[in-house]
Amino acid sequence: MSLSRWYRVFRLDFLHNFRRPLFWFLIVIVALTCWGLSTGVLQIATGDSRVGGTKAYITSQFAVSQMLVIVVFLFYGFFIAVASGMPIIRDDELKISDLLRSSSLTVGEYVWGKFAAVLIAFLGVLGLHLLLMIFFNHFVPNSQSLEIRGPFAYANYLVPAVVFAVPTIVFLSGVSFAVGEWTRRPILLFLLPVALLLICGFFLWDWSPNWLDPRLNRVLMLIDPSAFRWLNETWLKGDRGVRFYNAAPVEFDRGITISRLCFLALGMGAVALSQLHLAMTVRGTAGPRRSWFDVLRRRRLPGPQEVIVAPSPAPSAALAMRSGVPSYWRSIGLIARTELRELRSQPGLYLFVPLILLQTITTATFVEGAFGTPLLQTPGTLAVGSMNILTTLVCLLLMFYTVESLRREQGTGLASIHYATPIRTSALLFGKAMANSLVGVAIVLANLVACLIVIAIQGKVHIELWPFALVWGLLLVPTFLVWTSFITAAFSLTNNREATYGFGLGALIGTGYLQLGTKHMSWVANWPLWSAVHWSDMGVLEFDRSALILNRVMVLGLSVFFTVLAVGWFRRRDVDPGRVWTRLYPVALLKRALALSPYAVVPLVAGIILFNQVGHGFEGRAAKKDRKDYWRKNLATWKDVPIPALAAVDIDLSLDPQHHSFHSQGTYEIENQRTTVLRQIPLTAGDHWNDVSWTMNGKDYTPDNRSLLYVFTPPKELAPGEKVKIGFSFDGRFPQGISKNGRGVQEFILPSGVVLTSFTPSFAPVVGYIEQVGVEEDNKYEAKEYPDDFYKGQTDPAFGAARGFPTHLRITAPEEYTINSVGVLEKNEVAGGKRTVEWRSDHPVRFFNVVAGKWAVHPGQGTAVYYHPGHDYNLDEISEALDAARKYYSEWFWPYPWKELKLSEFPNLSTYAQGFPTDITFSEGIGFLTRSDAVSELAFMVAAHESAHQWWGNILTPGKGPGGDILSEGMAHFSTALLFEQVKGPRGRIEFLKNIEHRYEISRRMDSERPLVKIDGSQNGDTTVTYDKGGWVFWMLLRHMGRKQALAGLQEFIKEYHEGPDFPVLQDFIEVMRRYAPDTAAYDKFVKQWFFEVVVSEYQLTGAERKQSGDKDAWDVVVNVKNVGTGKMTVEVAAATGERFDEKTGKPKPDYKDARTVVELGAGEAKDVKIHCPFKPDRVFMDPDAFVLQLRRKLAVARF
Amino acid sequence: MLCVRDLVKVYPGPVTALQGISLDLPNGMFGLLGPNGAGKTTFMRILAGLLEPTSGKVTLDGQDVLNHPQQLWRQLGYLPQDFGFYPHLTGEKMLAYLLELKGVQAPQGIKKLCGELLERVNLTFAAKRKVKGYSGGMRQRLGLAQAIAGNPRLIIVDEPTAGLDPEERLRFYYLLAALAQDRIVLLSTHIVEDVAVLCTRFAVIRNGRLVAQTSPSEALRRLNGAIYQANVSADELETLRKSRYVTQAVLFEGQNRVRIYETNSNPPDGFASAEPTLEDAYLLTMRGDLTNGNGAAVHAAQ
Repeated sequence: MSLSRWYRVFRLDFLHNFRRPLFWFLIVIVALTCWGLSTGVLQIATGDSRVGGTKAYITSQFAVSQMLVIVVFLFYGFFIAVASGMPIIRDDELKISDLLRSSSLTVGEYVWGKFAAVLIAFLGVLGLHLLLMIFFNHFVPNSQSLEIRGPFAYANYLVPAVVFAVPTIVFLSGVSFAVGEWTRRPILLFLLPVALLLICGFFLWDWSPNWLDPRLNRVLMLIDPSAFRWLNETWLKGDRGVRFYNAAPVEFDRGITISRLCFLALGMGAVALSQLHLAMTVRGTAGPRRSWFDVLRRRRLPGPQEVIVAPSPAPSAALAMRSGVPSYWRSIGLIARTELRELRSQPGLYLFVPLILLQTITTATFVEGAFGTPLLQTPGTLAVGSMNILTTLVCLLLMFYTVESLRREQGTGLASIHYATPIRTSALLFGKAMANSLVGVAIVLANLVACLIVIAIQGKVHIELWPFALVWGLLLVPTFLVWTSFITAAFSLTNNREATYGFGLGALIGTGYLQLGTKHMSWVANWPLWSAVHWSDMGVLEFDRSALILNRVMVLGLSVFFTVLAVGWFRRRDVDPGRVWTRLYPVALLKRALALSPYAVVPLVAGIILFNQVGHGFEGRAAKKDRKDYWRKNLATWKDVPIPALAAVDIDLSLDPQHHSFHSQGTYEIENQRTTVLRQIPLTAGDHWNDVSWTMNGKDYTPDNRSLLYVFTPPKELAPGEKVKIGFSFDGRFPQGISKNGRGVQEFILPSGVVLTSFTPSFAPVVGYIEQVGVEEDNKYEAKEYPDDFYKGQTDPAFGAARGFPTHLRITAPEEYTINSVGVLEKNEVAGGKRTVEWRSDHPVRFFNVVAGKWAVHPGQGTAVYYHPGHDYNLDEISEALDAARKYYSEWFWPYPWKELKLSEFPNLSTYAQGFPTDITFSEGIGFLTRSDAVSELAFMVAAHESAHQWWGNILTPGKGPGGDILSEGMAHFSTALLFEQVKGPRGRIEFLKNIEHRYEISRRMDSERPLVKIDGSQNGDTTVTYDKGGWVFWMLLRHMGRKQALAGLQEFIKEYHEGPDFPVLQDFIEVMRRYAPDTAAYDKFVKQWFFEVVVSEYQLTGAERKQSGDKDAWDVVVNVKNVGTGKMTVEVAAATGERFDEKTGKPKPDYKDARTVVELGAGEAKDVKIHCPFKPDRVFMDPDAFVLQLRRKLAVARF
Repeated sequence: MLCVRDLVKVYPGPVTALQGISLDLPNGMFGLLGPNGAGKTTFMRILAGLLEPTSGKVTLDGQDVLNHPQQLWRQLGYLPQDFGFYPHLTGEKMLAYLLELKGVQAPQGIKKLCGELLERVNLTFAAKRKVKGYSGGMRQRLGLAQAIAGNPRLIIVDEPTAGLDPEERLRFYYLLAALAQDRIVLLSTHIVEDVAVLCTRFAVIRNGRLVAQTSPSEALRRLNGAIYQANVSADELETLRKSRYVTQAVLFEGQNRVRIYETNSNPPDGFASAEPTLEDAYLLTMRGDLTNGNGAAVHAAQ
């Protein structure tokens, strides 16, 4: 190899890179990304989020690794594919390949010169990327980043670049180069980045269920070309503490080192193979490339050979030909047909479609709902759920196909002939667009097939096509139209393939950044409708419908506008450079702008209306200001002011779901339940209320309006025990206007259902000041710090009123609606097309709600499930849970005081469930659409949890302060575990506990995790401690105390606190339970470590050996057990053979055998344990019955 | 009538490719001769509506074709110098596609017409083959087939015989000659023989300027009795180049066969009178000798 010739090839191509617009687009994107990420948008999920708490540095080696891995893989991929795959194709197009090969230049010099040019250029971009990161992370002043900037260290940037980024770049460059050389088809260059995006972005990086075998997980880590899965699974998942991440270097194990070297070798090897292949082609040992179909077809007989014949004497006039102009539509059809022939001959489509199909099936199969439960997919949820992926992929493919299609005439050399035909430019472009849109159609159809397969595999949901037609037809098609027209316009403007790709990728990345990295995305800018559409089987696209329509009108208008630009700018004739300047004169520009202006009217008007609607919507500027004013005006005065209690509620509510409106009129009887006099009573109103009028004790009254907080001053101070009646009347639409960008809402009035609660001033005033209203990032303050003995004396309730009160609600709605509320139904009448119901509480409540829908009813034993008629998939399971909950929770905890327990389904505009007294509400995404089976019983789990809130929340309302919420949510999880074991046997309980243990492991924040008694929900990671760890600790406490004593303690606890006025927190709970502890010293020890300290065990098994015992069927197992975590618990170690439970039925299997021993290890302690087995064990593992909370349970297994 | 007035084209650089060309082309075959880089292809591409000129005007039968190329394209047959086809289409399908794009109609239908056109360019045998398997000559013939299809008012062919073997060139001559009877055919070439065989008139373009416009017979008539020929040694040739107008000097059977232009009937010793050829006229024109040096009667275009 001549270095001189190699250098000439390298230099020419290397310098050419700098003339590529695509290259500069990447640099601009990288610069913007570095700037954006320097504010901490992408941080490692660790650290203490409190003011002054240690935060995760964005400059640590872990943080830089995470950022580089993602950005290089996602952003560089497409650019590298084009830049690396095109050089040889471009030489072919320029027809200089043969010339080059006929020179003394060798294939090796040619191939490696070109590859080196691309590789070094992109390594240069990487170098610039690192410099920009350093610049923005360390030198640019940014007050937002002060806490997340660590000290500068070269290694923090160089190590991730060398280990993660460089192999990725070499791999992508090499394989793209090989694809370009082997196929010589530009469109196939995009296969690699698209496939990697699908496989990594939507599967490898994310998919890691609890049941995944660690060995398979390890394989998946090592085959990830980006190495993100390895980084995440090995280091980032399962918080190791902010100090670790901020200071420690990333340690690379042998597997990842080999994996990175392999990807490096794969990239280089691909180039070497290209060299080999090209050399064979040049020598003629490799035949000319043939299309796949040619290869598959039968070999044809040789065609007829040329014979020289005398010129035809007949004049051309004899042919009677006439020239003309092809009709417009005929031209479009002709172009489209020919383009389709070309597309058909390209393998790209046949490779992309199965990939996308596979992707959709995988993604849809692993969609998760509440508590990590897998969801049943209905046609509508699938259609909407796949929109993001579908939009992204189809837009990418449409971009590739459109650009290559527009380039085709130039690439093949037909342009001079083609463009000199009388076909109209618009027909030419439309024809191509039509053919390319069939690519989109093919992919959408493939996706449809995938969705139908998913539905068929589920075997529960009926197949319907209309949701797909509706969602994809009405919502996606305009996106594809605007995208195709935009790309065509960009190509027409630039007449350059790479510049067009730059525009396209820039637009996609920019939109993605606006959506994911900022809070500024709105309906006006969200042209692809990313994550903006909510589907409910109960009502079709009711929420934000006007926004959807306006957005689509705007997008369609834009597509017309871009189309006009594309047709006007498309260059069939090469423009004279001198005349270009004259066209840029202001007058000329003005004329062109005026000519274009009619086409801009529709998108502009739609955009302005949409902008205005967003501004006036419930997330708009006006509403935001109202809420901020509420906060600003009232925080200091009303935040901690003692408030009176509701003594009685009487409301007349008239609902008009079709118009999202209501009229509410009623009275609150308010009592001063405190020991001091009360001068003023604050009531919070909704910003959607109109025509508000008030009365006090039956007389008109004008309260002091303090920006949505109405303050009433009774004629005389309210003495303790005195009452006042406040009346109210108002109208409203709810929600008021549209959202900003499709964010769901928890309460609403829609034709498909109504959900209103007394937690917010949606249909009735809320007594007192609501702390959360008007609080955003910029004015967020830290939670109140309570002294250790704050619980002593009287503690206010965490939510709802301090004392139970009677409710009486008269609700009117169209007759087709069933209307539920708290209490018992006293009246249900239909007159004049209206249904009027009266609900009266049969036992005092602390909060109330109204929920309405067009339901079917499934009655149980003192229970009823109100469900959307199409959602009967888990009905029996939900009803079983409800019945069992009512029966067993009543036995275990406290007798259920109300007559009936109802559960009502509402549209899935927000996935949550709430348990109001007698009236539980589930969004359809919870329970009703949970993918449950005989083993997982997930619907049962969800219903059991929510039912438990009737006791832990309603009957016993926790106190306000740290640890209070754990008595609600942790107890609900604990109750669920108990109910599982009661109804479903040990398998259900074990799986449930393992599931929430896994959620705790991956969601906890090691640094900010506080003892249970300090958890107030204000810190990242508090949720999993409240639910998952809380549930586990109660379960361990029950095991520790013994079931009988524990349940007796719980009953005593409820008895003592269920009526208030002192509401309990964990310390109160501990005190009551202690009375029932059989061994108070052991109890105190348990309580100390699990309630007052942060401990969690993690066991490691090493040196496991099994030896045959004297008896030939007996074996002895020896293993060293070490607690590398914290805490000290007695835990079982088991040696076992066979599977314990049947995978399908969940029943115990007879061939399972285990032998156990116990061990008690403190933090860092280890011990050899010996287990004698009367059978041959195949493994030894910890805690077979899930009695002790621990981390990395899956790894605490030794197999023989 | 195709009228070209003051056509100027300046490329960035700046490079002036055309420096104010004016021409009137009536029906018939018109040749455009010139060396490589003279501006012929630029001129042809402008006339074909594929390149915007810097200034100038072109009308076809009174219609402004520069500002309204669409009107030109409906009556244009164009064979560019460098072109290709969709590689995955067969010759027949490719031709049919182009014919339909051009709005060509025929009583026998497009498919049959394609067959007949392919027969005329002797491509019937390859009609079903994909174009990517065509040789250079076959592609040229396919290009020719599409250019002559329909009833174009103007046919522009740029270096059409490049890559054609002698038989095909002959076939091509016949085809074009027949077509040129009732339309304008503009033939750009650097092969003088093409012009000599086909064109009733031709122009010579050099450095973007039209340096001559005449007919082959007129050009030959002007040289009549002024061309002499002899075989000379290499040294003698050098001497002759300094003292005489050498029009051509070619090696023939190992000897320098030299032709000189001598208007005074006083040839050097050993030179005999020879029949003038159009190549003599072209080469003299290119050197500027015919128009400026001796005032020969070639009509100066500008």
